[in-house]
Amino acid sequence: MLCRYSLEIGPGDTVLIDGPALAQPLFVEVVKAVTEAGAHPMLRPRLDRADAALLEGASDAQVAAITKLDEVEVEAPTRALTIWANTNTRYMSGVPSETQAARAAAMRPLFERFLAREAAGDARWCGTAFPCHAAAQDAGMSLSEWEDFVYRAGHLDDPDPIAFWREQSKRQAAIAERFTGVREIRILAEDTDLVLDVADRIWDNADGHKNFPDGEVYTSPVESATRGHIAFSFDATYMGNDVAGVRLTFDGGRVVEHEATRGADFLGRMLDMDAGARYLGEVAFGMNDEIQVPTRDTLFDEKIGGTCHVALGMAFPECGGTNTSGLHWDLVCDLRRGGEIHADGEVVARDGRFL
Amino acid sequence: MTDPRIERLADVVVNYSLPLAEGDTVLIQGPALAEELIVELVRAATRAGAIARVRATVQGTDEAYLSRASDEQLDHLPPWSLEEMSAIDARISVVGAWNTRELTGVDPAKMARRSRAAQPLMAQFMQRSAAGELKWCVTAAPCEAFAQDAGMSLDAYADFVYRAGWLDTSDPVAAWKTYATRLSKLAEKLASVKTLRVLADGTDLTVGVEGRTWMASKGTHNFPDGEVFTGPVETQTNGEVRFSFPAIMGGREVEDVRLRFEDGRVVASEAKSGEDYLRQMIAMDDGASILGEFAIGTNYAVEEFTRQILFDEKIGGTCHMALGAGYPDTGSTNVSGLHWDIVCDLRSGGAEIHADGEPIFRDGQFLAEFFAEDLSVPA
Repeated sequence: MLCRYSLEIGPGDTVLIDGPALAQPLFVEVVKAVTEAGAHPMLRPRLDRADAALLEGASDAQVAAITKLDEVEVEAPTRALTIWANTNTRYMSGVPSETQAARAAAMRPLFERFLAREAAGDARWCGTAFPCHAAAQDAGMSLSEWEDFVYRAGHLDDPDPIAFWREQSKRQAAIAERFTGVREIRILAEDTDLVLDVADRIWDNADGHKNFPDGEVYTSPVESATRGHIAFSFDATYMGNDVAGVRLTFDGGRVVEHEATRGADFLGRMLDMDAGARYLGEVAFGMNDEIQVPTRDTLFDEKIGGTCHVALGMAFPECGGTNTSGLHWDLVCDLRRGGEIHADGEVVARDGRFL
Repeated sequence: MTDPRIERLADVVVNYSLPLAEGDTVLIQGPALAEELIVELVRAATRAGAIARVRATVQGTDEAYLSRASDEQLDHLPPWSLEEMSAIDARISVVGAWNTRELTGVDPAKMARRSRAAQPLMAQFMQRSAAGELKWCVTAAPCEAFAQDAGMSLDAYADFVYRAGWLDTSDPVAAWKTYATRLSKLAEKLASVKTLRVLADGTDLTVGVEGRTWMASKGTHNFPDGEVFTGPVETQTNGEVRFSFPAIMGGREVEDVRLRFEDGRVVASEAKSGEDYLRQMIAMDDGASILGEFAIGTNYAVEEFTRQILFDEKIGGTCHMALGAGYPDTGSTNVSGLHWDIVCDLRSGGAEIHADGEPIFRDGQFLAEFFAEDLSVPA
């Protein structure tokens, strides 16, 4: 699925496979598929503890350092697969949040370089999840329940998963079409009334190519226009940090007030990371009906059918977004109980269902 | 809690073997099972002011790739690997495995083909190392697979590994520094030798070493360490050698290797088992039938043959030679995709090494009239 549908790997491709070492079975399967496709695997298995050790006690210069080894990882691959899993989702708890923010800011030019290569058609990227105990634990499930959930979310139990995703793609394309040409979007839900300008922005159909599992339509809103407030329904972990009860108030596109019931300090550090961190880089609607319960794992939560999410920080140039930041933090708001989406004053979705 | 010997190992590698300087970019590579050691190496490197990057490996990907890759894929040397090699200031390679026989199902011709394709990378590595631009060290993490090959439990094997690095002594760095001075004197002493002759059971081999540089392996490029080595004159190896220990490569074991050399080249080879593999490796390329290294093991804290070359070639009182690539800093000009060290025990039976006709080494020890310094572990 990842190699044939998501990334469409062909002969001669250089395929970066980046993920935690615990995803070893998936590494092996992807290497088989990549090699059989005539491409060249470029393996980067990581160790959570080593990643944390790199930042613990590091000087400012060490935190900010970009080496040739880092550059090669964004310049060389024509396809890149990121595998998300952790040995412990709180593995970064020993690293001060300002250090994490500084590292993310230092990595920003590399992200931007890869995005530019993607936009130029030189590279493609996909992020996927490998079921692990840490994510299962955060989701309140056993590993086998979590495996079932993860593989069901990708419709990998279907007789022909690729056929399912082609159908899902059509369904989502219709929604993206509906939003195209819309100027203003208003999101109403509990403790939420947020207005975004999306005029002339391009809506993308996330149908399993850049994320797997997938299921959303998204764009980058006009940077200076977001106003109102939004409360995020689900707990989240971001870069190994626990955050819950986030509420943001926007004016002129910028976060002017923020609160969180847990992880408020971390949230503040992230917002202060750089100039773009307080602006939205994404607004999106989740459309994967196989995912119904929050799991504390953004990859899944943001796809829940009937939710919306916005991301602080980096925008998507291919959608017309211009915001740049080392941050791209998706926060999810549940619209399934009383939520509404208005497009230029017209109700287009109620209780999480498109009308 | 981390075994304090792991922290000490990381400390010795980072601050003695390399040593790392502020601002150095150091690549730390090793199997994911060596996480404890890799994490300690990252910590020690960061404390030293270096920029560490980690490249872990996971079990099974090499086999998955090698068993499926076409010739075209195997011949492809990624340009980025050369870019990386030219950019790093230091490299630490941790060896360890889940299963030392993991690649035994892969066609040796494919492995040879990949090694051949990687030859420019190896050449660049050796050139930068010889020019003093690249500091590097190979070390080992105790693991079940190595322990099993050594015929030991993991705990017994860990004791063996840390004892071999003298990490159970009160000040390992001081001990290695004292030893380094002594070993350097041995290398100086050997520098004036023109011809070495090794005499042992089934062995009467003459190796020309005139004009070549002897290196004292004092814990810099390998850790644990303890050997003196040079690159023999490519055209002067003559006679026969019988290796008392099996030759091991890529999880394959070749037993009772006997080689006959004429004017530097292997002209006949036989083995009790694995003979086909031996011959295939020797025929890999032009340089594979020529010695790239001749060495004498001088770490007397390593006594057991454990099937890991990093340790076996250091056994005090043995000699080893490598077929294939030589180290340019020894004066060797031999180029090959192969570098296969094979060890010969000289600790008993009246085995001797002669230098220009005079005996200098007998039954595992240098003779006092040639070299009087103590090479045992400094107290």
